[in-house]
Amino acid sequence: MPSSFNMDNLPFSLLDEREQALLRQTLDIGYFQKDEVIMQAGSVPEGVYVVLKGKVSESEVHAGEADRQEHIYVHYENEDYFGAWSAIKGNAIHNFIAEVETICHIIPTKTVLDLVSTNSSFADYFQQNLVAKAEIVEQHGDSQDMAEFMLAQVGEGVMRAPLIVDEASTIKATTVMMREKKVDCVLVKKGTRYGMVTGTDLLNAVVLNECSIDTAVAEIATYRLISVHPNDYLFNALIIMTQQQIERVVVMRENELMGIVDLTDVLSFFSSHSHVIGLRIERAKTLEDLHTAAHGLNDLIKSLVSQGVKARFAMDLLAAMNGRIMAKLFDLMVPADMQPHVCLIVMGSEGRGEQVMKTDQDNAIIYRDGLAWKDMQEVMNSFSKQLMEFGYPPCPGNIMVSNPEWVNSLGDWTQKMSSWSVSWAEQDQMNLAIAVDAKPVAGNPALFKAARNWFFKSLKNNDAFFSNFAKVALEFSTPLTFFGNLKDRGQLDVKKGGIFPIVHGVRTMALEHKILVTNTFKRLEALVEVGAMTDKHSKDLAEALGLFIQLRLRQQIKRAEEEEAGVDLTPNTLDLQSMNKMERDLLRDAFHIVKGFKKHLELHYHLGSR
Amino acid sequence: MIIPRTIRRMKEKMGHKSGPYAHLFEPYDGDEVVSLDCETTGLDVKNADIISIGAVRVKGNKVLTSERLDIKLKPPKTLTGDSIKIHKIRAVDLEDGIELEEALEQVLAFVGNRPILGYYVNYDIRMLDKFIRPKYGFGLPCKAIELSHVYHDIIKWRMVGGNVDLRFDTISKKLDIPILERHTALGDAITVALMYVRLKYGDPPEVG
Repeated sequence: MPSSFNMDNLPFSLLDEREQALLRQTLDIGYFQKDEVIMQAGSVPEGVYVVLKGKVSESEVHAGEADRQEHIYVHYENEDYFGAWSAIKGNAIHNFIAEVETICHIIPTKTVLDLVSTNSSFADYFQQNLVAKAEIVEQHGDSQDMAEFMLAQVGEGVMRAPLIVDEASTIKATTVMMREKKVDCVLVKKGTRYGMVTGTDLLNAVVLNECSIDTAVAEIATYRLISVHPNDYLFNALIIMTQQQIERVVVMRENELMGIVDLTDVLSFFSSHSHVIGLRIERAKTLEDLHTAAHGLNDLIKSLVSQGVKARFAMDLLAAMNGRIMAKLFDLMVPADMQPHVCLIVMGSEGRGEQVMKTDQDNAIIYRDGLAWKDMQEVMNSFSKQLMEFGYPPCPGNIMVSNPEWVNSLGDWTQKMSSWSVSWAEQDQMNLAIAVDAKPVAGNPALFKAARNWFFKSLKNNDAFFSNFAKVALEFSTPLTFFGNLKDRGQLDVKKGGIFPIVHGVRTMALEHKILVTNTFKRLEALVEVGAMTDKHSKDLAEALGLFIQLRLRQQIKRAEEEEAGVDLTPNTLDLQSMNKMERDLLRDAFHIVKGFKKHLELHYHLGSR
Repeated sequence: MIIPRTIRRMKEKMGHKSGPYAHLFEPYDGDEVVSLDCETTGLDVKNADIISIGAVRVKGNKVLTSERLDIKLKPPKTLTGDSIKIHKIRAVDLEDGIELEEALEQVLAFVGNRPILGYYVNYDIRMLDKFIRPKYGFGLPCKAIELSHVYHDIIKWRMVGGNVDLRFDTISKKLDIPILERHTALGDAITVALMYVRLKYGDPPEVG
């Protein structure tokens, strides 16, 4: 019964009362002197140890006395537990040594096994399954409240029951009804379809179009409705509203209408100011207005991340925002008569919608063959300059519209893509990797689609291309030691070691299966749909990538705050020392997933001989 | 060593040579001790009653909290205001307590012939003997280990000429042992056990 044992900590808080009682029942306490070996590698462990007071180091098997310092890779302090993996395996995998005098609670192996067999979430916690671990941490972590709040689903809370009127209902009757029910929006059922009528629609119909008030509302309704699923995150609904510039979305499950989500409700639900910035972008009439809006973005991301929003979702929002800013700037700078003939595309991480801090401009122009617009390059130069002033740094590789190389007619563009795809030169491969992640943000998207479709067609059955393209993903080694632990003690390049292999590998597979979406997470989902990847594999990769991005972002923000210029000079470096044990564990697991994925790429694209 | 007690123990050993409790009088040759603590209604052995008994086994450098005794007794008549203030055990807390006879059986079975460790352990032993002797015809024959003596023996060489502070809280602080649950029988027994293990296996504590 020692109540000195803290049950509030993970994973013990996952146990129910009866299981906690069993645990207390069987607990022992051990006392260890400084330098005493608590568990010797290869021995049979007594059980799982929980540090009550003191400090324990875990070190590698062959650690000799002299150079022991170098081989230690984890420290356990008060309330950390250790030896779970060893206990379950029945054989200690490492040496555990008391760094100072240490008192530990000892949970006998039998009890651990009993608990593992009766409580599955407790069991999961001990398994090295990254997804499960991350989910448990997420559900029970410190930021629980905020994260849950930001990750609320559409179906919970803010969804309103739709007010539905029949087809024959007149403008007058509808207006009266809306006034009675105090709503600003009704749905009209016409045949099997639903149309939406808002207060503004009614006003426009009567005042501007001078319709009679006896006109059926079915005639003025909008039938192209944007819908979301009740399980979608509310956050995504907000992103969709920002992207589509609308204020309401309908909630559909399969073909069944569930309700309506209104912008004002979402806004009152989120106390953050994301949509305020969105509105400011939308209303900007001058470059100055837009400038102010653009500068609010970094603060927004910071506040979202500090509130515990997953980087993945913050990324989606930022991508939507950046897209709107560029589109607006494009509108302001490109003459209206030219807009249908040019298409602005963003590429690389921007194109995938995977950047979290504003990063380099990676953009290009595709224009209609034979377009005569003599000021074009000049306008593009000032476009790039303007973006720089908004806080988007120039691209070091000069992949931006101020570089005539990246302003092409449709014909030239397809020609370029094609020559890159048969070239083995590193620069060409890189250009191609950037270009295939392209996404249109302004102008005429048909130009972009024509180029992309042509490119997909030309890749048909070109196995040599894919294997050459995939090769780059294996270029950087995964920072794991022979024993499967994190290699770098201090600093670690997370982009080379983790992010790039996943992004590029997934990109190659997506190209092979002609998947149109560019976002890596969505590509992973699409790969499962076409049967190119198992669901578990895809989820593991998504989870690993999400973790890399999250950890990178957190450190990025911290460093940017410390730097005087407010710029992080080493954006891809992770400082392992500043992470807690749980994060390092997760990171190690994530790298194992990357390693497995590289193996898979090797087999799939026949790169084994390397 | 108290001479009359030693003589009495020899006598009692002879008397129970072939009885059911003969094994209690065997010399102990294992490596375990039992840390034991009683909460009582007062400090005067003659008039006080036991209200709870806690004990844990200590084996080597481990305190086997999984093998323990945590006994609550039926509330005795002497359970009144003054002692309640110290141990914070009220009559209602003892509602499902067991009979004294049953408790003594459990203590004898749990302790066996192992040495008994405690803080001012003779008080606890005398308290138990007061009830054991009339029933069984002998007192606890086990060797007693006094924590404050163990502590004193180690400290005295470093504190020449001074008085050694043997208060419970001081010892635990000097040894840097967390007091787990002060004034519950089991909590004190565990703390004492930890202090003992610390003294026996750790470096001598700093004094000053």
